[in-house]
Amino acid sequence: MKKLLFIIFSASLFITSCDKDSSTSADKTTASSNTGQGGSLARFTTAADHMYIVDDRKLYTYSLLDEKRPQLKGSIDVGFSIETIYTYKDKLFIGSSSAMYIYSISNPAQPTKLGQATHVRACDPVIANDSIAYVTVRGGTRCGGTQNALMVYDVKYITQPLLRKTVNMESPYGLGMTGNRLYVCNGSNGLNVYDITDPINPVLKKQLAGDTFYDVIIIDDLMVAMIEGGTALYELKANDEISLAAKIVN
Amino acid sequence: MKRTSLSAWLLPMLAISLAACYPRERVEPQPEPIPAEIDGWAPVYSKDADLTVIKSMPPQNIVKGGKIYIKGDTLYQVESGKGIHVILIKQPANPQKVAFISVTGAQELAVKNATLYTNNLNDLVVLDITRVDSVKLADRISNVFKMVDATRPPGTGYYECVDKSKGTVVGWEQKLLKYPKCRN
Repeated sequence: MKKLLFIIFSASLFITSCDKDSSTSADKTTASSNTGQGGSLARFTTAADHMYIVDDRKLYTYSLLDEKRPQLKGSIDVGFSIETIYTYKDKLFIGSSSAMYIYSISNPAQPTKLGQATHVRACDPVIANDSIAYVTVRGGTRCGGTQNALMVYDVKYITQPLLRKTVNMESPYGLGMTGNRLYVCNGSNGLNVYDITDPINPVLKKQLAGDTFYDVIIIDDLMVAMIEGGTALYELKANDEISLAAKIVN
Repeated sequence: MKRTSLSAWLLPMLAISLAACYPRERVEPQPEPIPAEIDGWAPVYSKDADLTVIKSMPPQNIVKGGKIYIKGDTLYQVESGKGIHVILIKQPANPQKVAFISVTGAQELAVKNATLYTNNLNDLVVLDITRVDSVKLADRISNVFKMVDATRPPGTGYYECVDKSKGTVVGWEQKLLKYPKCRN
């Protein structure tokens, strides 16, 4: 669970191309953490007793030391057409329609810019660790251009991500991972499970059909999926068995 | 005399040079015919008198489920533009909806201890969820977001023009439009 963080890069706020009815994302969390998991269109995110909010141009930092009374600590001009924000460890990633801006929040009240990566498109990303990130891009959307694919980036130098592998898919959305498995929502084509023992070469192990999958949060052996019409809960078992526990669709 | 003749020259020249600009500005690309049917955007209206009222309600059906968020044994799912479903998933095989928090315009959320943060249209609202069946507004910070533009949709393309007599625009949805007159 600790390794987990995924986010939705959603282009807009209501059911749009890129976030077709939105989705989810799990924030990194630990048993002792008092903040839960979440994400999606992410106009805001919480980390280290602070809340970070973006509008189309700026980043606003609020202190949550008094959690019932957020206090504005400052604002920073970031760029144009900002669409999403998420955190991984002590960094903020702010996605715009043309670039990814990276800020350090080692001092949480005062984010400082580390750099930016241009020409990186992502509808949904999941950062696996300090050197690998998986992102999905979806054709016909601002976040995808013309491609439908799962892409593997080397992010050792975070402002210079290197594309290492492109795995074509039909309609990829949100994704999540646990251990050496990567779960990628494939819209109306179901959910794909990849073996990522070799992180740069995801190997398709299984496809789950029957529902339209938009996003997943994985907590230990529980997978919560945002599906068309609601939510489905699954238990992840040995040998890639995925057992439906319940659906909440009305 | 000289002065007069100068201005007599200048004024018409000025007029002509200004007028010269007009045709240029008016040259527009040939308007495309309005399509009979096309995918585009339509406003979501609310007629509620007070869109800022936030309250707990009994569990509701999930109609347009949005973002999900998990905190402990509780799953929160946004009902796009309407509020937040609160669902206990301690027993995954038997999830229990326990409440619905009505928040107009809601699109996303975060939870910290017993505090829930979400957006009420363009305001950041801070809710005390110690009791989900009677949440309390702890704080509101106005116009933090630009989530909802009441005049135009969040994407490009055709959209159904806003008709204020139908209420306040609280969001936009994608829809098959017939002869849409507005375009973003």
